[in-house]
Order: sequence, then C-alpha cells, then structure tokens
Amino acid sequence: MAIDWKHENGPGLVEQRIVYESGNEMAAYAAHQINYHIMGYFPISPSTEVAQFLDLMKANGQHDIVLIPADGEHGSAGVCYGASTAGGRVFNATSANGYLYMLEQMPVQSGTRFPMVMNLVCRSVSGPLDIHGDHSDLYYALNTGWPILMCRDPQAVYDMNIMALKLAEDSEVRLPVLVASDGYFTSHQKRKVQTFAKREDVQRFVGERPPVGFPDTLDRNNPVTVGPYMNEPDYINNCYQQSMAMYRAEPVYDRIRKEYAALTGRDYPILDLYRMEDAEVAVFLMNSASEIIKDVVDQLRAQGVKAGSIAPNLIRPFPARQIAEALRNVKAVTVGDRADSYGGHGGNMVNEIKAALFTHGCTGPLVISRIYGLGGKDFYAEDGHALFRFAIEAAASGTVARPFDYHGHTPGDPAKAPKRVLNPMKYEDLNTGLIKVTPDEQGGPLKVRVPPLRALTKKPKRIAPGHGACPGCGIFSGLELFFKGIEGDIVALFHTGCAMVVTTGYPYSAHKATYIHNLFQNGAATLSGVVEMFWERKRRGELDHLQLPDDFTFVMITGDGGMDIGMGPAIGAALRNHKMIILEYDNEGYMNTGAQLSYSTPLGHRTSTSNVGQANGGKLFHHKDTAQIMAATHIPYVFTGSEAFPQDLVRKAAKAQWYAQHEGLVYGKILITCPLNWLSEDEEGTSIVSAAVDCCFFPLYEVERGITAITYNPEEKNKKIAVGEWLASMGKTRHMNKPEFADALASFGQEVDRRWNALKARHENPYL
Amino acid sequence: MVQLPKVNDLGFFEIRLESIGGLGANLAGKMLAEAGVVGVGLNGVSFSSYGSEKKGSPVKAHIRFCSPDTRIRDTSPVERPHIVGVFHEALAKTVNVISGIHEDSLVLVNSANPPAELKQSLNMLAGTLAVVDATGIALEEKNRVNMAMLGALFRLCAFLDPEPMKAVIRKSLEKKYPLAVEPALRTFQRGYEGLRVEAFPLPAGAQMPAYVRQDTPVLGYETQPIGGTITNPGNSILKNLSISRAGMLPHFAEDKCIHCAACDNVCPDFCFVWEEQEDKKGRPQMFLQGIDYQYCKGCLKCVKACPTDALSGEREVDGYADARRVPHRFDLAPS
Repeated sequence: MAIDWKHENGPGLVEQRIVYESGNEMAAYAAHQINYHIMGYFPISPSTEVAQFLDLMKANGQHDIVLIPADGEHGSAGVCYGASTAGGRVFNATSANGYLYMLEQMPVQSGTRFPMVMNLVCRSVSGPLDIHGDHSDLYYALNTGWPILMCRDPQAVYDMNIMALKLAEDSEVRLPVLVASDGYFTSHQKRKVQTFAKREDVQRFVGERPPVGFPDTLDRNNPVTVGPYMNEPDYINNCYQQSMAMYRAEPVYDRIRKEYAALTGRDYPILDLYRMEDAEVAVFLMNSASEIIKDVVDQLRAQGVKAGSIAPNLIRPFPARQIAEALRNVKAVTVGDRADSYGGHGGNMVNEIKAALFTHGCTGPLVISRIYGLGGKDFYAEDGHALFRFAIEAAASGTVARPFDYHGHTPGDPAKAPKRVLNPMKYEDLNTGLIKVTPDEQGGPLKVRVPPLRALTKKPKRIAPGHGACPGCGIFSGLELFFKGIEGDIVALFHTGCAMVVTTGYPYSAHKATYIHNLFQNGAATLSGVVEMFWERKRRGELDHLQLPDDFTFVMITGDGGMDIGMGPAIGAALRNHKMIILEYDNEGYMNTGAQLSYSTPLGHRTSTSNVGQANGGKLFHHKDTAQIMAATHIPYVFTGSEAFPQDLVRKAAKAQWYAQHEGLVYGKILITCPLNWLSEDEEGTSIVSAAVDCCFFPLYEVERGITAITYNPEEKNKKIAVGEWLASMGKTRHMNKPEFADALASFGQEVDRRWNALKARHENPYL
Repeated sequence: MVQLPKVNDLGFFEIRLESIGGLGANLAGKMLAEAGVVGVGLNGVSFSSYGSEKKGSPVKAHIRFCSPDTRIRDTSPVERPHIVGVFHEALAKTVNVISGIHEDSLVLVNSANPPAELKQSLNMLAGTLAVVDATGIALEEKNRVNMAMLGALFRLCAFLDPEPMKAVIRKSLEKKYPLAVEPALRTFQRGYEGLRVEAFPLPAGAQMPAYVRQDTPVLGYETQPIGGTITNPGNSILKNLSISRAGMLPHFAEDKCIHCAACDNVCPDFCFVWEEQEDKKGRPQMFLQGIDYQYCKGCLKCVKACPTDALSGEREVDGYADARRVPHRFDLAPS
C-alpha cells in the first residue's frame, strides 16, 4: 500500500514514496525493482513469502524474474549457482535448515567468485524444531566467504537489498552477498518504508545490466572452465585472493553506502552507534534487538547513566577496528549473541569482539557475554535493562562476576514436571485378529479379509485427539483409516509438515505410539536406520528382555512436499528395500508453510507461488506421478488410496503391512483435502477426494510385485466425471472452468486421460 | 493531525486482537493499522503471532500507533493494551484474553451476552467493556465476523476515520464480488453502531493484576527431559479444542444411528466414542455412544458422511456441548 506524501521524503535527490510493508515484502519489492534474471527458491518459513510476493507480482506482469521452484534448498542453491555462471543477475531467499541444506554450495559460489544476492531471513537451526527468529543460521554463514549485510528493520531490508547487488558486482569484490534480517520480527512486521518511486532510478544506481568482463558460461567466443580440480599448491592462493576481496568489500561498501545516502538520505555506516560519544557502559546487539535497546539507552540516559549501544551494519568483513575504537573509552560492554557457539565460552560475536579489542590494544573495557532470544524468544525492553545491568555492575566493581551465561532461560516448577498421562496401548487391543492376510501359494496377489469397518472401531487410534490441525483437515482421517488396517505395534516417523507440527506442539504430543521427527527431507534414510537397528539388536538378543510380542511395523508419514525434497532418500530406501512403509498424504502443496506449489500440484492450480493473474494462470507444469516413480524402483508393493473408499484403503493397509514385514519397502499415496488452502468447505472434504478419483485424476490401484491392478474403475461403475466437475468443487481451481483458462483445462484433462489410459494398459497386461 | 487518546511511556497507543485462526482477525488488524498509518497519517506497526497455529487455534494480532515523528523500535508483543478486541468469546475458557489491561482499557467482545455477565466470564477486575454481537450481525448479513468487529474497533478508535475504510472495503470487493459490497458495508456499519458499553471502575484498594509475559513456558531446564523428547505422549488429550468451533457442531441422534462407522472413518479429530455391547443376537458388536465435544472442531464432515439422519449440523448454543458430551474412555496412567 503506497502513501504518496511528498513532504515525507528525505533530503535525498531521488524521487521517493512511502509504503507500509513488512521485511519480506520489501526484499521482494527491491528484487522486482532490480528485475533480477533468475530466482531459484524453495519454501521455508519465514523467508518463503519473498518468493510468494514475487510470484504474485509476476502474475500481474510487474517484473520479468524467472522464478524456479527447486526440489529443495540444495537444488535452489544449485539453480542459482548455475544461473550466476551464465552471466545474469541472481536472487534467492532462505532460512534456517534450508540454509544449512544449501550450505555446501555457499563456499563454492564465493570460492569461484560468482556474485549473487541472497536474503537470509534468520531463524533458529534446531532439533526439536523451532521456526522462529534467532541467529543460529546466520552464524553458519560467517565462514562461507560471503559478505554479510545486516538489516534491523523493513526499511533496512529494502536499502540493503539494493546496495548488496552493487557490492557483489563491484570489480574489486566479485563475491555473493548475504542480506540478513530477523525472521518474524522484521520479516513479518509491517512498518512505514521509503522506497525509490521509479524502478529506473534503482536500475541506474545498481547499473542497468551486470558489469561485463568476467567469466560467462554463455560466451562461446571465450570458452572457460569453471570449477576445476585444484590441489594444494594452488588452492591456498585462490583462498588468498578471496580473502583480499572480502576485506576490500569493507571500503567498497563504505563508498556505496555514501552514494546511497546522497541519493536517498538514508545512511548505513559500518557501525550503527547510538549515544556512544561519552558512553561508559554499552550493549552490543544485532538487527531487531539493536533497535529496542536504543529505547533502553534513552531511558538509562534519562536516569543519568552514560549508556550507549553498538550494532554492526555488516559483519563480514568484520569491522574489528571500528568496534575497538567505539569501545575504547567504555568501562564495560555486554555483548548479546542470539545464538550459542556451544563450548566456545560465548557466541561468535562476543569472541570476535574480544579478539578485536585485543588486536587493537584496547584492553580497558570489561566484556560480558550473554546468549539471549534463542528460537525467537521475544526481546523486551526489560531484557535490555537486564543486559545493561550486567555492564553497570561490572563497571562499578571493576570485575565481571559471570563472563558467560544465558539470559531468559527458566528452571521450571518441579510440581509441573511431565508425568505420564496415558498407559501404553495394549498389544492385544491393537492386534484384533479381525484382519487376515494370506499369501497365495502360486505367488499371486495376497488374499485379504477385512471385517465391516464398524468392527475396527474397537482398535485404539494410534493418534490421540487434541492435535491442532485445522477443522476438516484430511490428514488425520486418512492416516487413522490406514492404521485401521495395521495390526499390532508401529513405530512412526513423520517428515516435517502439518501432520508433524500440529501433533507435537511442545510440551504436548498426540502420538500414543513411539514417534520420531528428524528433518523435512531425510525421513526415509532415518527410518532405514531405525529398521536395521531393530533387526540387528533383535538378532543379537538385545531386545529379548523387552519380550516384544511381535515385530514392529515401521511407518514413515510424509506430505507431498516431503516427497519432493526427500525424493532422493526415499528412492535410496526403496532400492535398499528396507522393511518399512512410506505413506504419503498428498494435499497438493506445501500447506504447512502457507500453500506453496509442490511438484504434486496439478497444472493450473492456484497456490501462493502459482498465482492467478493477467500474466499467469496457476501452476505451469503437470503434477508429479510419485506412485509410478516409486513403482519403478521395483519394490514389492505400491498403492494409492483415499478415505472416500475406506474398505479399499484398509485392505491396502493390510497388504502393506504384510509386505513391510515379509518382503521389503512399501510406498502408498493417499489424496487428502486441505480445506484451508484448497479454498473448499470443511464438510466437503470426503466428496472432493471422491470426485478426484471419479474423474481419474487420482486412480485407485496397486502394483503388487510389479503387477498393476486398478482396484476401483469409475468407468465400469458408471461413475466417471469430467475433471472440470472436480475442479469446480475447490476455490483454488474455480478459475479453470472459465473460458480464458480453456487451454489449461484441456491440457490438464488430456494429461489425466493419458495417464489413466496408460494405467488401464498396465492393468490389462502383467508385463507392463 | 489526529490526536491519540492516550499513549504509554514510549508514545504508543496499543491494541491487541484475540481470536482463533479463520475469523479474519489478522486481516482486520492489518486494515485497522493501515487506516491509521495510511489513512490518518499516524506512524504504526502491526503484526500477528506466527507458529504452528492453524485455523481454529488461538492467534493474536498486535497494533501500535504513535505520532508520525515517534521512532518505532519495539518488536515485542503488546502486553499492556489500551484496547483488546476479542473476536471469539469462547477463547476466554483457555486464554487470558485480557492479560495486562489497564483499569481504563477498552475490552471489545464479540458476544450476545450483557457486559456484566462478560465481566464475570472474562474474570475482569476493572475496565470498560464494549460488546457487539458480531457473529449475529454477520449471520444476518451473510457476511464475515471480522467486518462487524472492524466496525466496532473503528468506533472505539475515534481518531480513525471510518469513511476511507468503507471506500477500501468497497474497492476491494466491487470488482470480484459486487454483490458482497453492500452486505459488507452494512456489517461494518452495524458493528460500528451496535456497541453496548459499560465501564467497571476499579474497586477501592484493589490493584489491576500484573501481566505474565507471553513467552513464559510451563517447563524449564530443570524439569524438561533432555533433547526435547516428550516422555508422556498422548497428553494432547488434556487439551480443550472446543474453542476451535466457529459456530456449528454436529448433533447425534442415537435412535437413528446404524453404527456403520462412516463418521468415524472421516473424523479428523477422533471424537466418536464406541463401546462393545451385545447385539440382538447376543454377539459382541461395536455401538456408537456419542461425541466427545472437547475435541470437536465443528467441521461437519461426519454429517456429510452419515447415511442416515443420526448426525446433523446445528448452530452451537451455550451449554449444549458440555451437557451432551460423551467423554472418551482413555486408559489413564495412575497419577
């Protein structure tokens, strides 16, 4: 939303305007003004919105950036790297685990000297999963060889994004640049922000085109070899060049920020010093907290305390000399690190500051280190006062009582310590004997006997009520219907996603059976490890004392997103043929992070990264056929299912269990409704997936020891409907039945028919 | 330049909205903030609570207004609101929605109940209650609760101008949903006009309760098992999710039930309670006993799945769910 008050413009030379937006919106806004060539991206909170806003602007024809939805952050970083070797401008945004997943690409990008700009919307890197803002991902960036610009508020996110590109492309630097802002505190809080009114002015500042004269993999007249094999006599010299370039980034940045200040009136000196001229006590913080602390400084000054604060606007290269100078006359400084360097007696910043003081002969100030605000724990003014108190006490006593500690941790009340609420489920209740699976003596399909579903309500549910899913969520009805077909004990592993997040919000868990969560993409590998440990410990007799009544059935639960980023590990586990089940709940998108497209999203469907506008009509390519990909690994059993056909799904679950206990890996996919993001009525969930089956978009079938059998044929039952009928039942696809999207509808319908006909041919012929 | 009625030490007039996901409180907060910043030239900041919250889960939106020349540095949540907007009355069962109010704070509640009754149910010592039947208005106008609440919030924020807001509502709807413009405007206006306000002064000698920081955990480093492992899984049964219902719930008529389990197959929240009994022929058989409303979020998938009239979707009235709840028979660990 723009506010056009000319009088609010600063003293700068360029025409500006004011908007009221968040940090993520400003990163996207700057990128669209720059009009980068390529963005390779992958959803992760809280940075995902950057790609969403760019997609929305693209759908409305506001920029030309080619947005490439990668298969994971490793892929997105690869897309970006390749694109940057090809001479154009490249942009990305990520956070936390996503950043770590692409980490090995970072030193390659800097070491081979290809500029690009990436926003790191800082968030906790953790196990137990915490998605909120701290600097633990940022601290991994310190050794990657990327200059790092810091953003304390949405205004800085905008400004730094524009300066970052100029810094990256400078002939003295030629390095990729990281722009770091605080997840949620900055990325999701709306503020007034001043921007260039005209895109041309932005492009004039950064240069309308990237500078030439550097290696470009698209210049056929100057062939180059990028990324050779380089051994020890030479590699150290490459590093030295890179080190020199990094240090040159400081004066180059200083020059760029002055040019920017002259143009806009907004200045970002290397250090943001607040009331430090005569300060006796100081606090050093980074980004959003470094703003809050200024209010605290004002309050302390009003009380007569000579307080000041220091925050860096860039931390790579580290402004060691400037920090030492700023602290030369300070008696004591508290350095707050928003991430620990476990065992390092302080976070990364405090130790670098101590080194800076030592190097520059500034031995006067006492230094107190505190770790604060981890996992997005809010930083209140009262926390700022506490940090100052440590410095004030040290200045008064001349010693530091506790050089290193945490701030904001709490011991907890022993009376509220966790106590078991439910008894473990009884094996005899789980093993009802109501389901019978018998192998065929000739090696044909298994014979399954399933009772009326009424009888199976006797079996305890594996997941307890009280989980926090949306009303009408299709995940849990789908999972428990599947579990009705599984007898005895399970060990479950859930990929990151809605099902994981809403069942395990600490200190609660809805999983009555043992459950594991590891990462978004690594579940199949992780469960492989659990499975093989079970069999090996059992073989060694180490489980005898537990008197297990039966072998476990190991089940991995993933969304369709987890099968994108986790496709490699899933195929690996399938090729190794571990005795386990992979069950995918497919809701056609990354719903946990805000409904971004997945590869399973069908053509034309609206998601937050496949918007519908005058320039774009939803997703641009067809849905992934994961069941066929997994069938191609020649595992013993593959199936599809839906809660709309409950007997069919329970039978398949029973078969899945038999194969996972006797032969090897099973993969199954159930289509489930996400009313929130499909923009459909809660109560219609079952009928919508039923329509998906009846229009043959989601055929029900199984591939048993390589032989395909359709288990429900809507044509034979006279139930076949047109795809348009299914699409009309969801808000996300209602546009597809409009005349302007007729081509997309036809293309989608043809693809559905083609796959259905191929499936029928396989059903007819056991050799296909 | 407009004048804020009061401000805190840092110069902020602060508003906190308390809701469940799906009622549009986040959007209402955004529109309110933009009306202040863009509409009348205040400075401001607005944000929502983010996390694993889904539709139906408690959410908060925070808004700070200040004069145009006041620097905004604070990113912490609003703990001492001048106005609280409660979009969902039932929230007060599980969330202290009035945490941190001043004795002269305004508490706006979407409710059909009289202020004196709400003072009791909110456990409110003092403050001014403003009540609007936003749900009732929205149902009558076939529009959204957040429009009525937004109208009421504009009434309470007298420094904002409702006319530009109405223009924004008109503009955002008229192209795509022209028929929704008038109902939305009427809903907004009825919210604006439909307030009942009653002030409750602080009793002599009493003090307003101190707030508890929103980031205060139950467990701590001396009590939580290492590694974040949850050693009492299944404890989610202790949660009360009835606040997730936004107005509807299923009714169960046992006499019409054929015990087919179609409801059980589609229920996302495992609300159906079964018991093994003897059928007419003396054989053991499962019989549906009823619904555990503590976990029912009111999606009504079961009503759709039911092949008879045993389940029906109805407007929720106070006390129905508590009276008709059939609790699950969990195998509880000895305490």
